[in-house]
Amino acid sequence: MKRTWIVAAVVVALGSTLPATANEWLQEGGEREEALDLVPDLENGLSVYEVCSGCHLPEGWGTPDGTFPQLAGQHTSVLIKQLADIREGNRDNPTMYPFALPRTIGDAQALADVVAYIEKLPMNPANGQGPWEEGAPEFELGKKLYADNCVRCHGDTGEGMPDKYYPRIQGQHYKYMLRQFEWIRDGKRRNANPEMVEQIQKFSDTDMSAVINYVSRIPVPAEDLAESVDWMNPDFD
Amino acid sequence: MHRKLTLVMAVLGVGALVAVAGIGRAEDAAAAKDASGTPVADGATLYQTKTCFTCHGKDAKTPLLPEYPKLAGQNPAYALQQMKDIKSGVRANGQTLAMKGIMHLVSDEEMVVLAEYVATLEP
Repeated sequence: MKRTWIVAAVVVALGSTLPATANEWLQEGGEREEALDLVPDLENGLSVYEVCSGCHLPEGWGTPDGTFPQLAGQHTSVLIKQLADIREGNRDNPTMYPFALPRTIGDAQALADVVAYIEKLPMNPANGQGPWEEGAPEFELGKKLYADNCVRCHGDTGEGMPDKYYPRIQGQHYKYMLRQFEWIRDGKRRNANPEMVEQIQKFSDTDMSAVINYVSRIPVPAEDLAESVDWMNPDFD
Repeated sequence: MHRKLTLVMAVLGVGALVAVAGIGRAEDAAAAKDASGTPVADGATLYQTKTCFTCHGKDAKTPLLPEYPKLAGQNPAYALQQMKDIKSGVRANGQTLAMKGIMHLVSDEEMVVLAEYVATLEP
């Protein structure tokens, strides 16, 4: 009898603490807050960015196959949060992890510097898009799902909310977003916003592809795009 | 005078070697094709575009972290086997998770070219 009670108590305790410890959306203090308050040095930002450019490319456009996301034009707050989360172990990304380490890219000031540099890069005019054009049933399904589930935080055109660390998703590569969305829905991405995790729990795989297809086709404002797909970052020779 | 002449000859010699090596690579690249018949890029290009250099260093002997291996001068058979095993997941120890994340970018034919390329580099 006593043993049953202990087991029950342990189960209840685990049940109440596990979800809170498994998700690491926003922790108080830490490097994220420190970096946000620093004044960035763009010249050093370029120097730090060199190591990032090996995968994300000098233009910060990533790869349309979705292996590497586009970073250009992303909010500095979002970039700082992701970098801090990866190096503090709150977001699992084994490929990127060594590049995010302080011994590779530097301290909180380096984070502030590199994200300021990245945010100013003009965006890829030809991001990787999903397969369904406007008018296709899948496109329309995605458009409706977006309006019903995503607009409140990511905005009418996927512009995000810098103050809340909600990323800009317009212009991002389809396959990258698909992977992240699935990981967020299924709990693999531990630094996801718990409200989003809840919001998308009932999305089927079809819903997921449809909504991400729609997002990948939201036009990016012309002033934020590079002049052509052949644009090369002049800071790199 | 002698020394100068020797130096000039050495420079010419190195130049000729580089040229020969370059031709060799170009021929290899022309010969290598993937499953769909598309020609495979040369080793130096693949080493950059497949992002190998970001972790193993541009010269393949100054890795990003001391835990990552130097590749320059490695036996090509060994390098090829490790790439295959890391891609398939047969090898999943140590730092291999970092590399597995990008191996979908590299085809079997490209692995052969890459293995031969790193083997030619001065250790």
